[in-house]
Amino acid sequence: MSRYDVVVIGAGLAGLTTACQLAQAQKKVLLVSTGGGALLLASGCIDVLGFQPATSKQPVTDPLGKLDAFLAEAPDHPYNIVGKANVQTGIETFWEIIHNSTALEYWGAADKNWLLPSAAGAVHPTCLAPTSLANGELTKGGKMLIVGFRELRDFYPALITQNLNEQDLGVEAASSVINAPEPLAKNMNITPLELAKAFERSDFRRKVVQSLQGQSKQFNRIGFPAVLGLKQHAEVLADLERMLGKTVFEISTLPPSVPGRRLFEGLKASFLQAGGRLIIGSKVVEGLIENGRVSQIQMETANRLRPLTAENYVLATGGIYGGGIQTDLDGQVWEPIFGLPVESDSNRHTWFSERFLSNAGQPVSQYGIQVNEKLNPVDSNKTPIAENLFIAGATIAGADWTRGRTGDGLALATAATITKQIA
Amino acid sequence: MTTNTVTDTPVDDVTLSLWHQVQNSADYCVKCNICTSFCPVSNVTDLFPGPKYVGPQAQRFRNPKELSVDDSLDYCSGCGICSMVCPHDVKVMEMNAKGRYKLYQDKKDIPIRNRMLGRSELLGQLSSPVAPIANFFLNNPLVRILVEKIVGVHRKAPLPGFSFETFRGWFNGVHKKSPNYKPSTDKRVVYYHGCSTNYYEPHVGKAAVAVLEHNGYEVVIPEQVCCGLPMLSNAEFDAARKNACTNVESLVKYARAGYKIVGTSTSCTLSLKSDYLHILDYNTEESRLVSQQTYDICEFLLDLYDAGELKTDFNPVNITVPYHSPCQLKAHNMGLPAIDLMELIPGVNINHVQAECCGIAGTYGYKKEKYQIGMDVGKPVFDQVKQINGSLAVCDSETCRWQIKGATGAKMIHPVELMAKAYGLI
Ligand SMILES: Cc1cc2nc3c(=O)[nH]c(=O)nc-3n(C[C@H](O)[C@H](O)[C@H](O)COP(=O)(O)OP(=O)(O)OC[C@H]3O[C@@H](n4cnc5c(N)ncnc54)[C@H](O)[C@@H]3O)c2cc1C
Ligand code: SF4
Ligand code: SF4
Repeated sequence: MSRYDVVVIGAGLAGLTTACQLAQAQKKVLLVSTGGGALLLASGCIDVLGFQPATSKQPVTDPLGKLDAFLAEAPDHPYNIVGKANVQTGIETFWEIIHNSTALEYWGAADKNWLLPSAAGAVHPTCLAPTSLANGELTKGGKMLIVGFRELRDFYPALITQNLNEQDLGVEAASSVINAPEPLAKNMNITPLELAKAFERSDFRRKVVQSLQGQSKQFNRIGFPAVLGLKQHAEVLADLERMLGKTVFEISTLPPSVPGRRLFEGLKASFLQAGGRLIIGSKVVEGLIENGRVSQIQMETANRLRPLTAENYVLATGGIYGGGIQTDLDGQVWEPIFGLPVESDSNRHTWFSERFLSNAGQPVSQYGIQVNEKLNPVDSNKTPIAENLFIAGATIAGADWTRGRTGDGLALATAATITKQIA
Repeated sequence: MTTNTVTDTPVDDVTLSLWHQVQNSADYCVKCNICTSFCPVSNVTDLFPGPKYVGPQAQRFRNPKELSVDDSLDYCSGCGICSMVCPHDVKVMEMNAKGRYKLYQDKKDIPIRNRMLGRSELLGQLSSPVAPIANFFLNNPLVRILVEKIVGVHRKAPLPGFSFETFRGWFNGVHKKSPNYKPSTDKRVVYYHGCSTNYYEPHVGKAAVAVLEHNGYEVVIPEQVCCGLPMLSNAEFDAARKNACTNVESLVKYARAGYKIVGTSTSCTLSLKSDYLHILDYNTEESRLVSQQTYDICEFLLDLYDAGELKTDFNPVNITVPYHSPCQLKAHNMGLPAIDLMELIPGVNINHVQAECCGIAGTYGYKKEKYQIGMDVGKPVFDQVKQINGSLAVCDSETCRWQIKGATGAKMIHPVELMAKAYGLI
């Protein structure tokens, strides 16, 4: 007897949002994942389409409007399979989950990108952003002061301001680096999370504001690395704005990402609230497909494999980066749970582009599972391999978030496509 | 490196591969710092830089022939959350446990306090017969200040009271000699009670026996010693291995005969399931067999339910209770069977506490220099327990129960105690 309607494998953005929607639709859902997904590292914003064509340097301002043009250039991108309507539904459903069942606030719409400063001072076009990041919108112009902490080694306000100013974006940026007050003073190196916890103390905030006394006057907005509190983020932001008397914004940092963690915790809590069951720390190692259906999967526990059964299964294991697609030095590429077919080139020299940070993406990241419009895996004849198995997010062939900045949008669009069928 | 000092079993391929799995998993680390951002200890103190640094990063500089590179490793509580959240399967906690062993080997002295905390069983053996006197002294604030000064156990740390009657004494005497004792003849299960049930909380063992017998099992209680986890987490690997061998030798007979071994202590069952193999490198056919047959009691009961074999003649219990899932249970990597099990009882509403760790982490929070860290780590748990139901809470692990009780005043019970109550057995 099975206790679940659906088992979702993988706790990235794709797995979490699928699981959340299904649980809210009264399905009995188990979400099992080896660890936390890429959203703990990414910006915490939702990127749907940032560059069109992918290699363009000009940010997209209307993601949904530019989608057709993007797909004409990139016919193998999985957005082509889910279609524009599901991209839109994905964005809307995400917004509803966030606003109806979490304490977070996200803003934006499918036809408009925010243009936000990145940790390198580049322009980050993104569709939905939490209030604190959206406050950094560059087209609002004016003077912004970007504050860093000497002990947060991976965040350089001078680099950000120089790059922003050189791009003639209509903002005038200046930088300031201060020492972290007690209890973090005199640390050699602190992480964004440590700062976020410290910001939840009012005495810490007060001392930060004191260090900025006299500096902040001539600016319209004050930007900090994205470390303004974790659980009490809204209070921290409001209090800083009150004390400084200015709009305060956050700029996403290098990993680990505090806004990503807020999103992870929000989605997790909302899933559990809806009655979902969650196992983090366990790997699914095997799946059995019989007569065109998955009949069972096996999860690795501390001492034995445990079989899990459900009506439907969602594979949201995150492609190459997440562990959903594996490779070896002999040039083999495979899907480790079900052994689903992956088209690939065994010559490893073809796996990478010349440029590491290429907006065109890396060929190896695009290796993945071929799917039909229902998101069932298919073989080379396009015949479905298992009708109760659905592939979500970065594990789909052609998915590569760096290609046009489309990773989050794809995660949400596939979540919406799958939910529609099995909720 | 992988010789087994107690049985002198030659290193076999499986042992070697397990060892490499832990050591070499450092190479899979992509330095994403997800582990650090979840580590409850590095989040509350700057004495500890966090799992990425002391685990996979420091691992590159660890050489069995050279001195340990970093003392801060001693601040790792061993809670295992890092290994759980790492998306790349890096065995951070296991690496840390081994690193700590090396650290103490290099220092060549393990504080008497750590040796004492590692020997809950010996303390139980000495104190249980004189429980009222021992408890009087342990409850005396002046004595506790002295204990803190001399031994280093924090004066406020939640020491449990000794029980006058041991669980084994009750089982073999009162229980088996009772005229109502009619064990099942066809279904048997082995119960590994561990030290805490035997010396401090026999009522947990009694509830477990009652629930198992109610479901038609004869409960078999073989010879056993402390699982060794307290010694392991205080870097006494040799002593821990000795206990591991004694337990495996006693339990393997039953495992061979196909018996399942259930436990109510999540850390004891985790030792039997995996720490013997992965941390102590005690990997033989026997230890693997014992590992295979070991179950957390709620895991076992929920399996019975799934097979349609669990009795569900529960009386309603109208209650909303906070449930804290201990780290040592989450490290079983099987989910939280206690929740599904308790929710079979009509009227029971389980409110799962959403915080990682209560801060006690076995014996960690008892130590003078770590007590406050433990309390800071556990604060979110305490706050939620007080908010949901400050008078009663459920948790599968004994040390967590004592910690939460100490901090909140809530009465703490094991999930099987709630089951036993709903069955009308206690
Ligand atoms: C550093 C970084 C920065 C990024 N920045 C951006 C950005 O700026 N814009 C953008 O659009 N996208 C970005 N992305 C990508 C984007 O976050 C993802 O593409 C998107 O969130 C899709 O996530 P997913 O859910 O498909 O996979 P993931 O988030 O990778 O999740 C996969 C999950 O599956 C689990 N898993 C894997 N194998 C198993 C198994 N066998 N059993 C159980 N669980 C398993 C993993 O532990 C993980 O939790 C970034 C990614 C990274 C790593
Ligand atoms: S151990 Fe795992 S979670 Fe920690 S930094 Fe390395 S890869 Fe990331
Ligand atoms: S075991 Fe716990 S305390 Fe130790 S490093 Fe990992 S998360 Fe931190």
